[in-house]
Amino acid sequence: MNMTAEGVSLVLVTYRDIYQGVAEQREGLGEAYRSRSAIVRVSPTDLKKLGLKDGGRVELKTRSGSVVVAAKADPACPEGIGYMPASLYSNRLASYDPSVSKLPNLKRIESKAVPSERAITPISDLLARKKVA
Amino acid sequence: MSSQSLVCTGCSCLCDDLRAEVAGTSLCRIENACAKGTAYLRSAFDPKRRASSSIRGRPVSLDEALTEAARLLSRAKNQLVFGLESATLEAQAVAIELAHHIGGAIDGASSFSCGTIIQSLLSGDLPTVSLAEAKDKADLLIYWGSNPPHTHPRHLSRFTYYAYTDYDPAGWYPRVTLSCVEVRNTELSSMCRPAFKIKPGGDKDFIDAILQGASGGSDGPGAFADMVKKSRFCVIFPGPSLAHSLGGDFTAFREMVRRFGEETRMAVIPMVAGANQRGFNQSLYQQTGYVDQVSFAGRLSHGWEFSFLEQVRKRVPECVLIIGSDPFSALPPELIANLEGVNIICLDCFTTPTTDAATVVIPTSLPGLEDGGSMLRMDGDKVVLTELIKGEYLTAEGVLKRLAEGVG
Repeated sequence: MNMTAEGVSLVLVTYRDIYQGVAEQREGLGEAYRSRSAIVRVSPTDLKKLGLKDGGRVELKTRSGSVVVAAKADPACPEGIGYMPASLYSNRLASYDPSVSKLPNLKRIESKAVPSERAITPISDLLARKKVA
Repeated sequence: MSSQSLVCTGCSCLCDDLRAEVAGTSLCRIENACAKGTAYLRSAFDPKRRASSSIRGRPVSLDEALTEAARLLSRAKNQLVFGLESATLEAQAVAIELAHHIGGAIDGASSFSCGTIIQSLLSGDLPTVSLAEAKDKADLLIYWGSNPPHTHPRHLSRFTYYAYTDYDPAGWYPRVTLSCVEVRNTELSSMCRPAFKIKPGGDKDFIDAILQGASGGSDGPGAFADMVKKSRFCVIFPGPSLAHSLGGDFTAFREMVRRFGEETRMAVIPMVAGANQRGFNQSLYQQTGYVDQVSFAGRLSHGWEFSFLEQVRKRVPECVLIIGSDPFSALPPELIANLEGVNIICLDCFTTPTTDAATVVIPTSLPGLEDGGSMLRMDGDKVVLTELIKGEYLTAEGVLKRLAEGVG
């Protein structure tokens, strides 16, 4: 893991969370979906290097976009890795560049993490296209 | 009120041992469903979760929505039909015919997941097996880049490890080895003996090491190769994570399976997500020789340029017909933003970010609950659905037939 003035480098590894899926199926993109999606699990060492307490807010940035989510300590997570449920939050950070890969980098996203005092990114900011008027 | 049997179409396990009690418009009881299936079936009875007919966000009658959809579809220069992973085989057949009729492109979610591997299974380049035979005969089960407790919750209990029939006489332990290749600790990896943990994106290196003849060790590619070679019959269940790690290129994976096949029996069953993803791939393959990324413009064509990803990236289609799929939730918004200004017609049972963004929304019935027909389980086994209740919605097959009539 590398801490620079721009933040901490984290490779985000996404995974499927059945509880998030159930929340989305039952209530759509409501609070239950948001609270199960807007998180990144990092090693306790990385959390300390970010100067955050468990559950503190962190901004994740890639060239595609940024989101503010809650950072949670996960002793099983290696340094430099962030585990994140696959969701609108992780998708915002992903990109599709066929010169790199035929598939979007939805499962493994290189990012920078910085502590943030901003609120968790609202779902409405993550939708690619607003509801048709 | 009596209990009736039904097939859950919440995922590609297509569990056919569920029972439900329905009174009027209420679901009173479900038996044998997992958490995912229960949420899926319960939400069918929640009006707030169901899609409704609309044009540009304005509620309209079904007939108005169908008329506008047919108008948009017929006047567009380039059309793309996408999705169908949760539609019945019957609906898929009508959609393929519609795409052919209008001279459009057709693609499915397999295009950015396990499509390549399903193409190999159907063309005979990779060996496969039914889940029924795997349960009774395989002695090594390997989940690779898939975590069924969260994606296919009853997979182990209905079809593999816990369904195994041959037990060690000293206890309840089945005579089968459960293993996985994973990048993190999961519920599944905690059950596996052994579990192979690799670095994120390290699948290709792991496979290359096996192809270079790795052997020995306790937790690396050598130990993996030794384990497979010692088995009588090994079934690998690759998931979307493997597909993404390999960039959709399964060449090395195929070669690995081929080489193992010289020493033991091998089979592959992809852990596809959509309930009838396998059905869509197989239906399109039977018609065209390809599982996805097909164009009917002029003569039949196939290629990456007809994938949803490339069609959208290059802003090719003027109209996209999306059936039972939610790409707005599944793909990077920077790509989806290219659909700005494109007419989207969306057929779905539920409201989703894709229905929210669609120009025309046409609600459909839920297969297996409000709609009969048939689907293919992830292993290609055909499952017949029965209509449990008479819902207020048209089937996707019915909607597509009316669209085809409207297009002329």
